[in-house]
Amino acid sequence: MENTHITNSSTGTSAIELSGIRKTFTLSEDKNAQQVLALDGIDLSINQGEFLTIIGPSGCGKTTLLRIMASLILPDEGRVIVEGEAVSEPDIKRAMVFQTFGLFPWKTVLDNVVFPLIVRKYPAQQTREIAIQHIKQVGLEKFQNAYPHQLSGGMQQRVGLARALSTGADILLMDEPFGAIDAQTRELMQEELMRICQEEQKTVVFITHDLNEAVMLADRVLLMSRGPGQVREIISVNLPRPRTEYDVRAHQEFVRVRGHLWRELRNDLIEQRTEEMV
Amino acid sequence: MNLLATFKSRRVYLPILSLLVVLGGWELVGRSINPLLFAPPSSIIAMFGELIASGELLAAAKITMQALFLGYILAVIAGIPMGVLMGAWPRFGDILQPYLYAIFSTPRVVVVPLIIVWFGIGFEARLFLVFFWTAIAISVNTAQGVRNARPDLLEVARSFKVGRYQMARHVLIPGAVPFVISGLRIGAERAIVGVIIGEMFLQIVGLGGIITTASSQLLPAKMLCAVAVIAVLGTIIVTTLDMLEARFQVWRNDSN
Amino acid sequence: MKTLSRLETRRDQLIGVALFLSVWEVAAQLFDKPLLLPPVSAILTALWDLIISGELITALGESIFLLIVGLLVAIVIGFVFGTIIARSKTAYWMLNPYFSALFVTPTIALVPLVLVWFGFGFTGRVLVVVLAAVVPILFSVASGLRDAPGDLIDVARSFGVKGEIPLLFTVRLRAALPVLMAGLRLAAGRAVVGMAVAETYLRLGGIGGLIKSYGAVFRTDYVFASILPLSLLGILLVSGIGRIERRLKWS
Ligand SMILES: Nc1ncnc2c1ncn2[C@@H]1O[C@H](COP(=O)(O)OP(=O)(O)O)[C@@H](O)[C@H]1O
Ligand SMILES: [Mg+2]
Repeated sequence: MENTHITNSSTGTSAIELSGIRKTFTLSEDKNAQQVLALDGIDLSINQGEFLTIIGPSGCGKTTLLRIMASLILPDEGRVIVEGEAVSEPDIKRAMVFQTFGLFPWKTVLDNVVFPLIVRKYPAQQTREIAIQHIKQVGLEKFQNAYPHQLSGGMQQRVGLARALSTGADILLMDEPFGAIDAQTRELMQEELMRICQEEQKTVVFITHDLNEAVMLADRVLLMSRGPGQVREIISVNLPRPRTEYDVRAHQEFVRVRGHLWRELRNDLIEQRTEEMV
Repeated sequence: MNLLATFKSRRVYLPILSLLVVLGGWELVGRSINPLLFAPPSSIIAMFGELIASGELLAAAKITMQALFLGYILAVIAGIPMGVLMGAWPRFGDILQPYLYAIFSTPRVVVVPLIIVWFGIGFEARLFLVFFWTAIAISVNTAQGVRNARPDLLEVARSFKVGRYQMARHVLIPGAVPFVISGLRIGAERAIVGVIIGEMFLQIVGLGGIITTASSQLLPAKMLCAVAVIAVLGTIIVTTLDMLEARFQVWRNDSN
Repeated sequence: MKTLSRLETRRDQLIGVALFLSVWEVAAQLFDKPLLLPPVSAILTALWDLIISGELITALGESIFLLIVGLLVAIVIGFVFGTIIARSKTAYWMLNPYFSALFVTPTIALVPLVLVWFGFGFTGRVLVVVLAAVVPILFSVASGLRDAPGDLIDVARSFGVKGEIPLLFTVRLRAALPVLMAGLRLAAGRAVVGMAVAETYLRLGGIGGLIKSYGAVFRTDYVFASILPLSLLGILLVSGIGRIERRLKWS
């Protein structure tokens, strides 16, 4: 039980493999517009069943990287390989959880969770059962028929999570999913997420701007550096699972990794500021 | 259903009190100065009874509503598909928008001379006054709704790989409904004004016609009867659309 | 998925207008019924004629004067009653029904009454503009002041702003400004309609009178030529206020 993440990491093909990913954005619509280099040659291999967190200063390209992994946008250069196959469109193997929840305000909780299934034309009875099962899994069975605006932020994101789980995708792509949720609820949801992902052997890519969260959840933490977006470092977190906020915080490994990441982040911010001044 | 408690609520007794004061004052002042010209409430009520008894008011209201509803329904039938086209095909919408905006901003009373030379002064002319401006209101709002789909929800839908039809069915159309309904509402206000303009300036019939005739007969009490019916009609139509709006938007506002 | 730039949109619109006007011109020439459809060239000639004869300028001046006076009166009345119903629930329940009724009644239906009660002089005409424009201003004042930002008022008070009047000017009005401008924009659109109604129904005068008198002699080209500046006036007024409104918004 102790070292599940290590066994997971050593099995077969990678869940996601990125090679030489570059992406530039054009800022305005004019011909002589400014170009922004958002990602500059990212190589990365994510193991099956791995929990990878991504952290970095804001604007360093985290969201862009995740959207490329989801095939919501295509890279200018480089390849995205999911479970051994090159991909260029969203598919059933990957499901996304959004920072602003992305719930349809005109659909009830149940209809929101059912949505990806009816899009895939599952039989109606089956979709309902699957959806209800995942709504239960995130503890919202009493709120099936509520509309999103009647729920708190934490509950809304549980719906977002249930929706992603209901697709049966092996890979969850999460962009600061708990960023807009209060601290206590967030700790609870972190634990639930870890439990669910471990039970169901999910591969998770999880963006956060919270150092504690990054270390607490991760098998590996990917630190991105700012301008233009590159991988600065990938660091393994050798903490036993299951983890709870309470035991982990005092653990020596947690303190070591967190301290290391903080120094690196800080250096990056300082470098950037001196560059701006020059 | 405690009647006494209802009357203790000030949202009930204050308007009634104020109405009594205003109507009473009007009655006294109107009577003492010039009862014919200042039409005190008692004379309006008497006039109302007369107009109902003779059937004149009901016949006029029927004529008004015929043009109003036919024009409005035609505007809905034409306006919504037009708006969807303009929204789904932004280039077309952008090119059309300036004309619609210009026509919409032009007071209709000054367009009356043009309508007379184009459509005459009969039913078609009145229908056009209702139809055209209402259709513009509905189509412009619908187009806005289709174009203003929330980008984050479009992305959610794309991440689940939805097709064109499902995108329209689950994301674009439900998102546009509030805009369409607000178009229906603005359109209804426009339609009511349009039908009255037509009846006062083109073909002197209906409720607007009563106002014009009464004005030349110097009978303010008769005018006020027609105005009151128009106001009540307008309130009923707008309130109905408000209720429709509320029903389609359970997901928007708390229903308390 | 490609969105067109502003520039491209403008270009398309210009091409659209050019095409539209050319088709109109050619169609009108072929159709040859200037009463129904005067060619664009005839409308432009009429416009030019109206400009150099000074007729248009005089009429516009008269209209704009009426519009400004009417709007100012509406603003004053709207502020007074808007403040009253915002600050007192009793006043709100006693007065609101009349304002709501006025709002749903087409102004045009009230004009004959104004004629009977106030005559067709300047007072009557101003009153029509006020009836058209006052309610949106009044409602926006009321809602702007009612939804005053409690936290900002606390900030101002903690830094020493004392008394209702200073608070009104430092925080309440500033916070309500976007709402007030939205009300003013709506009111301006309705005021232009009220102005046209007053000028065509009460006494022929200004731009509305110009249009009606050319309509009466079936000079469709002149009717078009005088509607054009009126529409332009309305559009400029409303979009000008809209522009200020957008600059005042902070969120
Ligand atoms: N659709 C876009 N158009 C233009 N620039 C973009 C777009 N998306 C992201 N960018 C730019 O790319 C950079 C990285 O953005 P993002 O991936 O959102 O960063 P992060 O999520 O790490 O804060 C930023 O400079 C941002 O302004
Ligand atoms: Mg981001």
